[in-house]
Parts: sequence; structure tokens; C-alpha cells
Amino acid sequence: MDSRLRAVPPPLHAEREPLRPMLWTIAAFVAGALLNVDRIPLWATAVLIACAAWQLSVAAHKLPALPKPAQLILTFVLVTCVVATFHTLNGLPAGTVLLVVMGSIKLLETRGRRDRYIVIGAALFLLLAACLDRQALARLPLYLGDALLCCTALLVSAYGGAGLEIRVAAKLAARSLLLALPLALVFFLFFPRLPGGFWALPANDDAITGLGESMSPGSISQLTASYDPAFRVRFAGAIPPPQERYWRGPVLHDFDGYTWRRGVVEAYRQPALRYLGEPFRYSVTLVPDANRWWFTLDTVVGSPDKHVFFSYDYDLIAREPVTQLTTYDALSYTHTESSEPLSNFARKIESALPPNRNPRTRELAARLRERAAADPDFVRAVIDFFRTGGFQYSLTPPMLDLDSVDDFLFHTREGFCGHYASAFVALMRAGGVPARVVTGYQGGEWNPIGGYFLIRQSDAHAWAEIWIEGRGWRRVDPTAIVAPERLSRGILDILPNAVSGRTRLLYTTPLLVHLLQGWDALNTAWNERIVKFDVNMQLGILERLGVRSADWTALVAALASGLIGWLAWIAWHIGRSAGPRPADRLARAYARLCRKLARAGIARDAHEGPLDYAARIVRRRPDLAPRAQPLLARYAHLRYGPVGGEVAAAATAAFERMVLRLHVARRPRSTPLRRSKSL
Amino acid sequence: MKRFLRARIASWARRRQGADVLPVTMHYRRIYILPTRAGWGFAFLLFCMFVAGLNYSNSTALFLTFWLAGFVLVGLHRCHRNLLGIALQGATAVPTFAGGAGELELTLENPAPLMRLRIEADLPGVAPSVTDIAPRCAARLSLALPTTVRGRLLIDGLRLTTALPFGLFRAWTWVYLPLELIVYPRARGFFPLPTVAGVTPGAKTRGGSGGDEWLGLRAFRDGDSPHQVAWKAYARGAPLLVKEYCAAAAPERYFDFERLPNLDTERRLEQLAAWIVDAENRGERYALTLPGGKLALDRGAQHRHRCLSALALHGLAPARRAAAIAR
Repeated sequence: MDSRLRAVPPPLHAEREPLRPMLWTIAAFVAGALLNVDRIPLWATAVLIACAAWQLSVAAHKLPALPKPAQLILTFVLVTCVVATFHTLNGLPAGTVLLVVMGSIKLLETRGRRDRYIVIGAALFLLLAACLDRQALARLPLYLGDALLCCTALLVSAYGGAGLEIRVAAKLAARSLLLALPLALVFFLFFPRLPGGFWALPANDDAITGLGESMSPGSISQLTASYDPAFRVRFAGAIPPPQERYWRGPVLHDFDGYTWRRGVVEAYRQPALRYLGEPFRYSVTLVPDANRWWFTLDTVVGSPDKHVFFSYDYDLIAREPVTQLTTYDALSYTHTESSEPLSNFARKIESALPPNRNPRTRELAARLRERAAADPDFVRAVIDFFRTGGFQYSLTPPMLDLDSVDDFLFHTREGFCGHYASAFVALMRAGGVPARVVTGYQGGEWNPIGGYFLIRQSDAHAWAEIWIEGRGWRRVDPTAIVAPERLSRGILDILPNAVSGRTRLLYTTPLLVHLLQGWDALNTAWNERIVKFDVNMQLGILERLGVRSADWTALVAALASGLIGWLAWIAWHIGRSAGPRPADRLARAYARLCRKLARAGIARDAHEGPLDYAARIVRRRPDLAPRAQPLLARYAHLRYGPVGGEVAAAATAAFERMVLRLHVARRPRSTPLRRSKSL
Repeated sequence: MKRFLRARIASWARRRQGADVLPVTMHYRRIYILPTRAGWGFAFLLFCMFVAGLNYSNSTALFLTFWLAGFVLVGLHRCHRNLLGIALQGATAVPTFAGGAGELELTLENPAPLMRLRIEADLPGVAPSVTDIAPRCAARLSLALPTTVRGRLLIDGLRLTTALPFGLFRAWTWVYLPLELIVYPRARGFFPLPTVAGVTPGAKTRGGSGGDEWLGLRAFRDGDSPHQVAWKAYARGAPLLVKEYCAAAAPERYFDFERLPNLDTERRLEQLAAWIVDAENRGERYALTLPGGKLALDRGAQHRHRCLSALALHGLAPARRAAAIAR
């Protein structure tokens, strides 16, 4: 028997697991897990690395595969560990760790294409988990890189063997992603967004801590050292002058002699306000923190959101802590007046001081009160006391006694906004003037690139509000009396040692400041345009495109037309490269000429040269001959004749133009020369 | 169930497409595409990602989901294109003896300036064969066809398929060429080569240019004429060889079906096949007589094939071209 006939091609799936697809699968999974590495416990990372290393050794035939019972036991142990760590398997943090752990175990038993696909799917889900967790612009390159890695792994895995060059595979995956980008944009822009989720989302517990609901001596200085952003404000129209940029936060009414608290809120009816001057319109984007405060410029007119409570002391309090970037529009006045008297109940609350505490402060207040004829005189006397009392502004003041105001006013005389506001309000109350502490932020850094104010945690501030009969609540900032420069200049200028050396360097070098501002503006644009993208912005885009009174049907129409357009484009774009393509310009022009003549009803046969073709045209279609024959002859000359160098290039270009200009009428009748179906 | 469906769809496609003639170019109308199991899994993954992104109102996650969905659709077109435009230039079934493996050789040409990845040819019940085709190149695929009995093996249900680039879809095309594999009878038997009256077996007349039939080369021996030395071979580095010719008087074998009594038909055919192989290996001329016809005295590969084919098809009805398409 002839031995050649027995030659059977080697089986498609060789016994030996090819190394490269395994390598890429592991790489994709490990990269996906590493995107979440700061949210998974150390032991899970260790499990991941151990499993990846083991599987690599198995693929390289250095180690045997882990037996099945061991895998089962490992699975059980690790899932128990996840439950022990998180007390649940639900939610993003526990889910992510579970995915990492289960994927690691799956790695151990990965044999063949199907298993590799499962692991790559898990890697993509880990990428999704990272996206859900953080959408910062700085992480975007990581996400893009991981997406490309996963797609390349998919290709390498589908190919199986080692015959495919990695460069080619990566290029193919990258080009596919690039071609998919328009569709992603269309869907992103026009897929109707839901205003809320399907089910409740767990709170983000690692948010930065902003202003709290109480103020003890020293509590604000912790914030002051932090240069993290608190919120950003974009004004529509007029911008208030620097001395009026007070961003109102929690108002504190209740004093125990050491700490100011918001207290058990005993709301009282607020006297009617008269707004003076022009309003300021602006929008605020809050950076998530664990608190529920929505900050506004001084006196806000009402609540921008029905889920946010507008309190009697002009605070905005949300129902839920701010866990996501939140943007709202608000309208504020910086000057108000109230001619009504304060109710007795309100006066009692706003004048309350703990008995038997801070006796020297009471004594001082009584002394100054005796000399003053009316409330404004008393206020002026207290302000004078602060101005001339030898007080110093410091972010690292000495610790205070339990009678903190006494200790501060008569002993240390060193402190920052919190100390001054606390002492001032205590003196006012002791002197019979209703007063309260307002905490919030003051100032803000103008970002010229993005056109907005950035308010940092270091801008945290506390000031006082006093009630003057016939005029209403007036803002008094005792800190500004002691250290007027605090208002106009940043914390760095006044107290350069308040922050770490690195921060100081970052925020005082002009070039770096500029770069940081640019980066912040970019981030803000990203947050405002992309991260906060919602149904209103979708409709806004449609309106800008000329759709009047856009609603969700217009969105669906835009989506459908985008999808159809993209599908048509992609089918054309991808399909056209599959056919034979002439290698050079001359051949392409000749192919175009032949196409035109074929449309006119006389197609060139595959075996026919240009001159034979011309001869046939002369015989069969004399009407075309005068135009077709010179062109065909010219092609034959250019292709086979003695032409070379620049002359050839110019002549080819001329030939191209002539072919383009050739116009022959379409002949719809079918010709006897029509090719068989297979062409 | 799956096999039944596949057969139904194949016969539908056969009615739709009609028979093929070489070269078969894979154009749009004959390429079919469906998601693979991995593709369905990927769709489910995308759905989960979509729900998660929507629930968290997370722009980045939604964008990722839409992007990957676009990527899958690009993959669909790329998979389709991986097959599009390839031309099947040749399809040859290389005959074999019953019990051996025949071979279906396919020549695929890629006229486009793009790389074709993992083009597979498959037949029901046969291990598929895979190849890449470089831009503007041709490649050859060969499928091993196991055989059991002599005769004519109709090759139905030939598919060219691919799942690349991402394995999420499989594109395929059915090729309806009238392909058949001739399976020779098994070459075996007890009887020695028959001798024929008038010719002495083994009486070869060697030497000089006395013969006109090329016999082969043998080592140089003292006394050989320099005219007979294969100088060209010597110049290529071979040892000194002498060209041998044999006279036309080499033995002639006459194989006759009727002269093998006491055997059933199949045994007789096997015996005849064994003789033909034997005679051909010895370089002898032979003729074959079957009840249906006669093949005159000759030798060479073509003659051998004609004789063996005649044995293979002995007693069988002529091929019905419009046989069932899929098994």
C-alpha cells in the first residue's frame, strides 16, 4: 500500500497545551485583578499570584496540575475567607474579591480554549468592577490598556498555536477596538439613561471626610492640612468679590463649653428675608464625602433638589450622604436684611450658654456690655478686643482646657478660625446678642483654564453670625479681624509650615501650579461631561443637533440611525479589503477602466489582454471604440512599453485622470458575456 | 438533533446555491455566520455588564460595555471577511485502497492583501484540517478520509469554516463540488503472478541501447560502455551509475477475472489488485480483463490507476450525480 496515502494531518488539538494562549490568558486576568488591587485584601492578592505562578509552571511543564479534590477544598476555603472578611458575597467590594478568588482557582484548571475564554470573561468583568469603583481620568489609560490586553488575549486564545505574531495580534485587536469606537460613542451619547438605579447602592465608605456636624478646638486644622478638593463652583454671570466668597456649611447652635454642635435641631421660624443686590447663579460639583451637606454661597434661595432639605438656618441637607459626584445649580444672595424681630424661642436658642462654664468670658462680656449703649456698640467693643488683645493666627495652637473659650481668650491667645468663631459667638451670647457659628469654606482657587473655582479642604473655615435687631443676621468673621490676610491669600502664604513640604512645593512653583490647574480643569471637564453624563445632557446634545423638543423617542431615533449608519460603514469598510486589490496605481486605474466598460455592457474576459479587448470592442461595440481604444492602447504602452522613471509616474497620473473623466452610459441589458455565478 | 438540523440546512443551502464548479470563490451570498458558544457566553457577559453599568449609572462602565459590544460586531464582520474572497482553486481526491485513508486535497487561494487566519476544511466524521493563508498566497489543505470498502465514496458536506479572529462567531460555506473518492479493492491474494505463454518470466535482455524501455540505474561495473554512464547524475555528485534499458521483450502479464475460479467476486478483485500492484512495482507490462471490458497491455501510474479504478467500480451502478448532499 502506498504510504503517502496514509499520511493523516496531525490532530487539531495536540495533547500539549500551547504555552502562549495560556500566558496571555493569565496576563489578562492578573491585569484585571491588579486594577482592583487596592480594594482586595492582601491574602486574595497572594492567592491570585500563587495560582497564576502555579498555572504558568503547569503550562511550561514544570509542575503537575493541582488535583481536583485539592481544587475543591481550596474553593471552599477561599469562599469561606471571603465571607469571613466581608460578611456577605453581595456588593461591589465582596463581589470583586470573590471574582478574583474564583478566577484564580479557575486558572488552576484551565485546559483548552473554553476555559481560557471563561477566564478572559472574568478579566473583563474585573475591568468593569474597576470602572464601577473609580472613574477618575487618571485611570483611563489603565482601563484602555487592560481592554486591549483582554481583546488580544481573546485573539491569541482563539488562534491557539504559536504561529501568530504577537505584534500582528495586538494590532488586529487594537484596530477592531478602534473601529468599534464610533458605535460606542453613539450608544454612549444616545442610549436613554435611567435617572436612578434598579436597586439601592451601597455607600462608598472610603470617601474623604469633610466638615462634620460639630466643631471642637482643633477639628478644622486637620482639614486645613489637606489639599484634597471639596467642591468646584462654576458661576454663570457675575462672580462675587473675594471677601464675599463664604461657602455655607453646617450651622452650629449648641455649645457645651468646649464643642459646638448642630444640636438636636429645634427649628424655629426664620424671620422673613429681604434679598439685597444682585443674585449669583452658579453650579456646584461636590466631591463625594461621607457627609450630607450641600455647600452654597452664603444665603441660598431654595433647595435645588426635592431630595435635599432646605433648613431654617439656610443649610442644604441631603437625605443620603454624598457618595458620588453631585452637581446642582443654585441661586444665592450675599446681602440680606430682615426687619422682623427674632422670636423669643429663637432668641433663647441662639443665646444659650452652658451654665458654670467659661466664667471669665461671661465676666468680660458683662464688663463690655455695661459700657455699650446698644448691641452694635457691644459688637464693636468685642471686635476691638480681638484686634488689640494680642491674638495670633496659628494652625498649631496649644491644647485647650475644658473651658476652652476662657483658656483661649485669657491664656493661649493663639488659634485659627474655629477658636475665633467659637470665642466670638460665646462672647456675643454672654453679652445677650443672639449668635451662632457657621462652618463651611472660604475663598477658593480660580482655575483660569477650566473657568471655575476649586474649593479645597484646606479652605475650611468657621465664622459667626449675629442677630442685630431691625437688620437681621449679619456675618462677622473674627478671623478676618485678627488675620485679614487669611481671606485674600491662601493658607500657604500665611502659614507655609501648615502643610507638608511636598504639597508646598507642588502648590507654590508657578509652572507646577499651572500644570496642576490644567490637570484639574481636564478632570473637571471629564467629571462634568463624561462621568456626570445623564439624560438631560443627552437631550441637550440632540437640541444642539437641531432636534426641537427632544424626548426619548428622539434619542431612540438617533440611536437607531447611528447604529444602522455604523453597521453599513463597518460592513463596507471591512468587506472591501477582502477582494483582490490591484497592486499599483496603474493596475488600479486599469481595473477602474475595465469596470466602467463592463458597466457599458462589454466586460473584459479574464484571459484577454488590453489590445485584444480593444479589438473586440471595435468589433462589437463601435460606439465605445473611439473613447475606449486609445485608453486601452495607452495602458498597454504604459505597462509593457519602454517608459520609466518620472515620465512613467506622470504618464500614470495622466492615465488615471483620463480614466476618471471617461464617461460611458450604463447599458442595463444583460450581455452574453456575463460571468458565471461564482465570480 | 444537531446533525439533523445541520443536514436540513445544508440541503436548503444546496437548493439555494446550486452546484459549484471550480474555482469556487467565497462571495457574500454563500457565507453563513452564527455565534459560537463562546459568542453566546460573551453576549451574556455584555448583558450583565450593561445591567451593572445602568444600575450604577456609571458612564465609564456603560461606555466599556458599548465599546465591547461594538468590538463583538467588528469581530462578526472580521470573521465573515476572514472567509470572504478566498477561492477554492483545486479539489482532488487521491484514491486509496480499502481500509486505508484517502486524501482530499484542497488548494485555497487568497487574492486579497490580508492575512487569513485559521481556515478550516471539514467533512462530517473527518478530522478537520487547518491552515493560515498569507496575503496574495495559496495554501493547501488535506483531509484524511477513512475507508472501509472498495467503490466510489461520495464526498458530501464539505465545509470551509473559520472562527477567527476572536472565536465568538463561526463563518462557514458549503462547497457543492461533484467530488468522489475511488477506493481500490484491498490488494491481497495468495496466487503468484500468472505467467503467460510465449514469454519467459524474468527473461530480461539487458545491455546497450538494445532496449527502448527505461528500466533504471545500477552501479557501474568494469566493462560498461562510457556511453551508458549517467554523467549528469555523476556531475551532481552521485556515484558512477549506468543507465539500464530493457528490451521490449519484458514479460507481459495478462490478468483475467474469469481465470480466477473458486473465489468470490471480492476476493478475485483483491487478487487482481495485488497482481497489478506487484507487476507495476516490477516494471512489467500488464493487461486486465474484466467481465465488463478490457484494458490493453501497458504500464505506468496512469495505467495502474485505470486498472485499479476498474476493479474498484466493478459491478457498481454508475454514479448518481444528484446524490443526497449530507449524510
